[in-house]
Amino acid sequence: MADYREAPLATRPKTLDPAEYFNLSLDQRRAEEERAGLRAQLKRQYQMQLNNPHRKELIEDPALTRWVYARTNPYNHFRATKKTSLLGGLFGVVPLFVLYYVLKTDREEKRPCIYS
Amino acid sequence: MAAVGFRNWARALSRGKQPGFSALLSQVRAASGPSKGMLPGPYPKTPEERAAAAKKYNMRAEDYEPIPDHGEGYGDYPQLPDRSQHERDPWYSWDHPDLRRNWGEPIHWDFDMFIRNRVDTSPSPVDWHTMCKHLFGFIGFMMLMFYLGEKFPSYQPVAPKQYPYSSLHLERGGDPEKQPEERERTNVAGSKAKSAAEERHAEGERP
Repeated sequence: MADYREAPLATRPKTLDPAEYFNLSLDQRRAEEERAGLRAQLKRQYQMQLNNPHRKELIEDPALTRWVYARTNPYNHFRATKKTSLLGGLFGVVPLFVLYYVLKTDREEKRPCIYS
Repeated sequence: MAAVGFRNWARALSRGKQPGFSALLSQVRAASGPSKGMLPGPYPKTPEERAAAAKKYNMRAEDYEPIPDHGEGYGDYPQLPDRSQHERDPWYSWDHPDLRRNWGEPIHWDFDMFIRNRVDTSPSPVDWHTMCKHLFGFIGFMMLMFYLGEKFPSYQPVAPKQYPYSSLHLERGGDPEKQPEERERTNVAGSKAKSAAEERHAEGERP
């Protein structure tokens, strides 16, 4: 299995992943502990709200709110750069002309057959 | 009253930072829900902005990496690893087990693509080269066989359908007096049957 190659965009199995075996320095361990600390705080917040007997409302998730807001408001931070203009033109403008041309030619070809 | 409303609207449009209709929308937000500081903002330029954004998204400042800004409108949203929810531990007690996610955890931009009903980035059972070999080998083999089948066809012998009564000479409106021309007949049963049929035809009887 030394020459295992994962599919593009997929991940390696955990047993073949070098990160499993080589991320052992003190800094990395400290980083892992900090991440675990953040996770624990979030868990605590959630559990406190979940098990609160006086709670009547739904537990709101600010991460979800942020995600929804970010996904629905991209135009606030949109800039017309070369890349965005190219993509916009390619997906928004070119199909109009291409479709018009294709449908029109097809119709013109079929017209004499139908009306003859 | 409509005129007053129109004037206010025109004033708001000219004063707003963003052009057009969105000027009206962004200046008006309900007081309920998260404050402006808790919502995603523009791309962070200074290290302080980065630290503040990392804190906002519940991430370590070293882990926080905003999506590179090419103008697509991501703002300061973090770039999380493109891993599907299939890959997360099924046995850990997640706050939302079906989504395999904890409350408050930063959500990937394409989270709705990476849920367990959709895109799966977990490791494939066989490695890439074996998969390629199997797939293209199979397709190549089938294409080769179909090509050979086209080149060397093999089927039961067929001939045009033969009709009796001199190829239905009378039924096709042929002259009863005239003799129909002798057509090239494929021998079916044997010369004996053919000669018997020919005799009967010569006498003008129906066989």
